Amino acid sequence: MDKLENQRILASLIGEGEKDKSVDLLLEWASQSSFKEVIFNILEPLLVQWGKLWMQGKLSLAHGYLSGKVAEEFYLIASKNEEFMNSKAKNKGTIILGNIEDDFHPLGRRLVNIFATAAGWNIIDLGNDVPAEIFVEKAVENQAKIIAVSAMMFTTAKNILKIRTEIDRIFLSDKIKLAVGGAVFKLRPELVEEIGGDGTADNAIEAPALFDSLLLKCKG
Amino acid sequence: MNSLERIMAAVTGNDADYQPFTMLLSLYGSSLIKCDTVKYYQNPNLWFEGQKAVVETFDPDILISPFSFALEAEAFGCELAFLEKYAPNNKKPIITDLSQIEDLKLPEMDSPGIQYFLEATSLLSGFAKGTKAIASPIHSPCDIPALLMGLESWIDTLLFQPKYVESLLEKTMEHFVRLGNEFLVKGATFLIVPVNFTNPLMITENILKKLLPYLEKAFSQIKGPIVVHNGGCILQPFLKYFAKLPNVIAFVLDPREKFEEARQIIGNEMVLMGNFDGPGFARLSPDVAKNICLKILDNRKSDKHFIFATANADIPYETSVETIKAVVDTIRNYRKY
Repeated sequence: MDKLENQRILASLIGEGEKDKSVDLLLEWASQSSFKEVIFNILEPLLVQWGKLWMQGKLSLAHGYLSGKVAEEFYLIASKNEEFMNSKAKNKGTIILGNIEDDFHPLGRRLVNIFATAAGWNIIDLGNDVPAEIFVEKAVENQAKIIAVSAMMFTTAKNILKIRTEIDRIFLSDKIKLAVGGAVFKLRPELVEEIGGDGTADNAIEAPALFDSLLLKCKG
Repeated sequence: MNSLERIMAAVTGNDADYQPFTMLLSLYGSSLIKCDTVKYYQNPNLWFEGQKAVVETFDPDILISPFSFALEAEAFGCELAFLEKYAPNNKKPIITDLSQIEDLKLPEMDSPGIQYFLEATSLLSGFAKGTKAIASPIHSPCDIPALLMGLESWIDTLLFQPKYVESLLEKTMEHFVRLGNEFLVKGATFLIVPVNFTNPLMITENILKKLLPYLEKAFSQIKGPIVVHNGGCILQPFLKYFAKLPNVIAFVLDPREKFEEARQIIGNEMVLMGNFDGPGFARLSPDVAKNICLKILDNRKSDKHFIFATANADIPYETSVETIKAVVDTIRNYRKY
């Protein structure tokens, strides 16, 4: 398997908007090698490369959306493959993920889900427009040590403060860390502290490293 | 030479008495008159008072009617979130299921939200009395869907649901043409159409090619000139397409873009505007702002089809008057002609 050539072929297909053909091709390659081989040598390197190009303004959000859809569909199929599931990285713990109340911009969250899952985290994705108390309730219920919240705009980012307040109210600040992300935090980095975040990442690719560092800060 | 003549000189490529300029000071008017931004974005008379203060303080050559796309989306039924010292934002998309597109109602021109824009434009026009150019920002028909349904849902629809794209754009085109022409009736000299969601950072070239026929059809029905605005993103990979659209006479470039490269794409006749970062103003000292301004002016010294302008969104509420004045004075004292 020529990894670079296959990455190029996949990039071209996704760039043309061919989601179904891209997933079919990944499945064909997986049948010739393995899901693990395809994910770690073709799909993820391409997602990382595209993430960097997007950050540099060289690819569009639509490219990111398409590649995320392809990855989502392929991961879903891979998750039913026993050999792949056995070969995955050791489970690092559970993260409660979602877009805060009134936020309806799922792309970043979905990419975080993909990269964090690949890095060995168990992700419970609550979706869009999630009230603060649900994040905390689910974290307690699933013994999650990290709540990861996405917001795109200033108005919705302010709602994250309610999660901070709720975590503090039940005295779990040492045991549950609050990761925040989204476009508004790049524009206004001071907002991370203002809304009580324990940390942020510039993009979905860097989210697993943030989660690793926050895990080290958890007590108990 | 008055402001309008100065702007027309840039359009026709003639000499003016000094470099024509404009700045997006829609929000900043509320700062100058110390007005609550919630009331400011609901009362056209208050907004007009703010703009009179803008003219008294900075005297730009182009006056810009209210810049708030959230308000335009509100006229479609979107809920607003008002913010102290900021323009309002949209709270939630109103289209959460594609089946809702069929029932989407277009705002009436006499609805309160639309009347805010139109009354403010009338007031501005009456005040300027033909001595200044008046620009009216309006959402592109291909951008409104992202506001109504959320950006990701719109991208998904563009990629996988062509039937719904057509039915939604038929409606947004109708709204664009009605409101755009109404702005011109109320005294706008030209329309400013930002492409916040129709640019190379948001969509692929293939998607743009699917949208171009809709833009062509809508722009061709506007009875006046159109300026394409960068909308916070770079334009250049799409400039060659936008330049061929009907009635387009000018582009506002992103601060990251190079005028020389844009000229190679669009030629020497169309007007280039830009490219001082409006939202970045608040972080600058007067001296730093002056130096950035001078670099832009030096770069465009021999370009007679150039209008100095801020790019991206509004100049922030808390920007110091001295910083903005430093830029205005630099422009006025610059020996271009």
